[in-house]
Amino acid sequence: MIASRTERVLGILLLSVAAIVTLLPLISMFSAALQPADQNPTGLTWPTDPQWGNFATAFETGHVWQLMGSSLVIVLGVVPLSLVAATLAGFALGSLQVRFGRGILVFFVLGLTIPFEALIIPLYYQAQSMGTVNTPWAVIFPLIGLYMPFGVFWMRAHFINVPRELSEAARVDGASLWREFRSIQLPLAAPALSALAILLFIWTWNQFLLPVVLIADPLQRTVAGALTFFQGQYSLSIPLLNAGALIIITPAVLLFLVFQRQFIRALVQGAVKG
Amino acid sequence: MNTRIPRRRRGASLALIAIAGLTGAALTGCAPGSAAPTAQNDVEVSTELTSDPVQLTIADETGFPVTDKLTEEFTKQHPNVTFTINRDTFQNLTANAPKLLASSTPPDLIRLPTLGDTVRDGLVANLDPYFDAYGWDAWPASQLAPLRMTDEGVRGSGSLYQLGLGYSITGIYMNTTLADQLGIDAPPQTLAELEEDMAKAKAAGVLPIMAGDKDGVVNFVVQAAMNQYVDKDQFLSWMFNEPGARYDESGNVEGAELVRKWADAGYFPSDINAIDYFTFTSRFSAGEGLFTFNGNWEAANYQKALGSNVEFFLVPPAEAGADHVAMGAANSFSVAAKSPHLNEIVYFLNWVHTDPTARQIIVDVTGASPGGDPAQELPSVEAGSLIENALKMSAQIGAENGQVDFMANTTAGIYAGSIIPESQLLVTSQITGKEFVDRVQKFYESEVGE
Amino acid sequence: MTDRAVAVAAAPRPDDAPSATATAPVRRAAARAAARRATLAGWVLLLPALAFYIGFVVWPLFQGVQYSFYDWNGIGVARWVGVENYLTVFTDPDLLGAIRNAFILIAFFTFIPVGLGLVLATLIRGIRYKAFAATAQTVLFLPQIIPLAAAGIAWSWMYAQTGAVNQILGWVGLGWITRPWLADYGTALPAVGLIGSWVLTGLCTVLLLTGLGKIDVSLYEAIRLDGAGWWREFFTITLPGLRQEIAVLVTVTVIAALSSFDIIYTSTQGGPGRATLVPGLSIFRIGFTQSDVGLASAFGIVLMVLVLIVVLPIQRLSRASDS
Repeated sequence: MIASRTERVLGILLLSVAAIVTLLPLISMFSAALQPADQNPTGLTWPTDPQWGNFATAFETGHVWQLMGSSLVIVLGVVPLSLVAATLAGFALGSLQVRFGRGILVFFVLGLTIPFEALIIPLYYQAQSMGTVNTPWAVIFPLIGLYMPFGVFWMRAHFINVPRELSEAARVDGASLWREFRSIQLPLAAPALSALAILLFIWTWNQFLLPVVLIADPLQRTVAGALTFFQGQYSLSIPLLNAGALIIITPAVLLFLVFQRQFIRALVQGAVKG
Repeated sequence: MNTRIPRRRRGASLALIAIAGLTGAALTGCAPGSAAPTAQNDVEVSTELTSDPVQLTIADETGFPVTDKLTEEFTKQHPNVTFTINRDTFQNLTANAPKLLASSTPPDLIRLPTLGDTVRDGLVANLDPYFDAYGWDAWPASQLAPLRMTDEGVRGSGSLYQLGLGYSITGIYMNTTLADQLGIDAPPQTLAELEEDMAKAKAAGVLPIMAGDKDGVVNFVVQAAMNQYVDKDQFLSWMFNEPGARYDESGNVEGAELVRKWADAGYFPSDINAIDYFTFTSRFSAGEGLFTFNGNWEAANYQKALGSNVEFFLVPPAEAGADHVAMGAANSFSVAAKSPHLNEIVYFLNWVHTDPTARQIIVDVTGASPGGDPAQELPSVEAGSLIENALKMSAQIGAENGQVDFMANTTAGIYAGSIIPESQLLVTSQITGKEFVDRVQKFYESEVGE
Repeated sequence: MTDRAVAVAAAPRPDDAPSATATAPVRRAAARAAARRATLAGWVLLLPALAFYIGFVVWPLFQGVQYSFYDWNGIGVARWVGVENYLTVFTDPDLLGAIRNAFILIAFFTFIPVGLGLVLATLIRGIRYKAFAATAQTVLFLPQIIPLAAAGIAWSWMYAQTGAVNQILGWVGLGWITRPWLADYGTALPAVGLIGSWVLTGLCTVLLLTGLGKIDVSLYEAIRLDGAGWWREFFTITLPGLRQEIAVLVTVTVIAALSSFDIIYTSTQGGPGRATLVPGLSIFRIGFTQSDVGLASAFGIVLMVLVLIVVLPIQRLSRASDS
């Protein structure tokens, strides 16, 4: 698109405003986090006596270290299994083009419209009868299931765009399906896989509803559930709450910043297909 | 958050057929749920503490450190008994309690503000055998009455299912600096005097009542007003879910209308629905508001913030010289029916009520009355302190038999589902007192009338 | 993109794949055998994904349908009540109000982010400085990385009487309209809606940017030569070219609006009164605080049906526009 001078300047201006508005809540949280913990903070100011100690207090009161541990457990349970299942299914639907493939795809994709709230109650009783309630597995299994629609769609979209000639060439050379998959398809799928991995990591890390319902011990939930530690019925310290929230946001944000280029590129390429 | 859907392809009809088929299968399946209530562990009642190492779990809410202190002290005295305390927010805890108790590894002790269906479903331990064994009949019956429930689910009588780690009392805190400025030299003795004082404050530009309703705490005020007009036993029988008891009695309506009158007169902060518990206590502590309606648990904090410039007294009655009525409740805990350590955990509960150090801890940390045998010596408190006031108030209410439970505990869902939203409308003059009472009654009927 | 989809639809199936060396009948037989093996292998590969999906999504969904026909508190005996729970959902004013609020949120979760996203994407596209564009993209996408619960908390604080929003309004001379935004009956729902706008605009911007990248530059050159301004360019080239992406975004954001929970749970809890009560929060409360599993399940199913009713036509519309 060819833009005139005014349009460009206007563009930069508007974008800057948008960026500032986007960052504003984070800045406001930061300002609140630095104010004395036992008082109600006032607006957006750089406090005269920044209470950096609030972060340490929040870290401890919120058992953040322990929560990051349990979040990690859940992530390690969810992400690898989801990637494997989604890739295999995506390959089957995208490259192998099994019969009824389209029906199966629709079947998966309909799952994206199911709101979590419609499922949490049956999921609870299911976890109870499986004996997994209050363990990380209670959250891991449903999450894998819930990620399948998007994951399968995503990987299929990738495999569909791999030229047929590649697999044909491999077959002609006498390679079995497994060989072909391992030596040719997988390396090609690496960008799509890594983008999916990052997305699933972030979604799992930020999960709130499922852990609250399915895991009774708050210390075994995800990090997002830690925010509730600062909200006693009769005691809520806003500075600590904001400090805690900032600590919780940090890992996901850092991960995103490190991988942002690959991430956005792959995300966007994936959405374009199909 | 999930993202992304592609275009639909045909084959959706296949999916629909599958859906229909599975639905049919699901519907013809057997009904969910079990018929028999879970059986309580059959344990021989003993009042002796075992010398074996025991690990007890307590599920408690966040923001109440008293259980930490109590369990620390108990372990000091009995090193073979250790505790694990799991904390969650009040909301999550009340929502999860039945599930926690029904699981295969329930906590031994759980903070339970409302018994709800737990008795009917056999989830909480019946403490009657221990009542006899420990001789709790020496304790005030009125204190234990709200902790009892009949087999039909009516509180106030029947078997004992809960005990309190401290028994609270509510009243009015008054900022005496502001009071002196307004020419008020003593706490009001009647509701009319209270209103006069508030009018004086309003006229002078001082906020009459510091209150908040983001999370429902203004209901201390609402119920305090109702308490002075209702028939106490009638009110209690509604709270205890006795069949036929109603909330829309004239006393409740009068109380609610009084609150509406105060709202119209501008006695509440203008942003009351944005003020949560933390904000409302910190603003009063910062000197905003002549009066605030709160409980003994905040006494220590208010004392720290306002020093000797604050007084605590019972909500005055409507008529001069009449008996006082005040809300108070046990910081109630229940023992899980399936707990494998019934004797040990009840021993702990008894210890909390009888051991002098434990009682001192309760008074120091929460300002609540430690309960137990009234003949037993009360823990020492600083003279002239708010906590001393609180204990005196507890004693007075006990003597005048004026204790009522919190209406928020009437059923499991009534607070979040009805009382909070409706009170938010009441204190901002959106609905009348009669409408408030009618709506809460309607919700009560839908929850209880199964 | 449309041509790629058509290409996919017309893609040769394994049966037709010719081999360079063998003769025709042998080729066909070999191909068919390979196809059978491929289909069998395909089904095996599909198994894990299907197992998790059916086991932990589809089956619980049907169980939810089952629960919805009973009056059950989750632990004791369940009592069959037929469609009574569904009748309650459609007649209880509080529950209907929640549904109404969810639809109102669509204005904030969908129209604003998609609209703003279009504007921002177009702007970013026109920027020469690649570094600035890349940074803008990253910053705008940040709200997607943050847990919704934290977003609710951050914005609750901003909307407070002494929070940043009122402070900034004061700085620009609009001090007279300051108020506790989340406690005011009129402004609570829009305020919550704006939180959603904040969360979703970045996603829309980034996605639309990619879409823009696929539009043929020569089209723009041609229309510029014709003397068209920004407006005409936007409506005749940009918008139509972005149809796919817009359909996807509208679908995703509508689902987010109708099933919102985290933000409301951590900011207003449904208040003041019931001004911000949404179905997600209501289901949670009915199911877990009030232990009315049947009604909660029924409401959940109704919510799902509502989502389908809104989303399916969007998909159909976007498909129709392709042909």
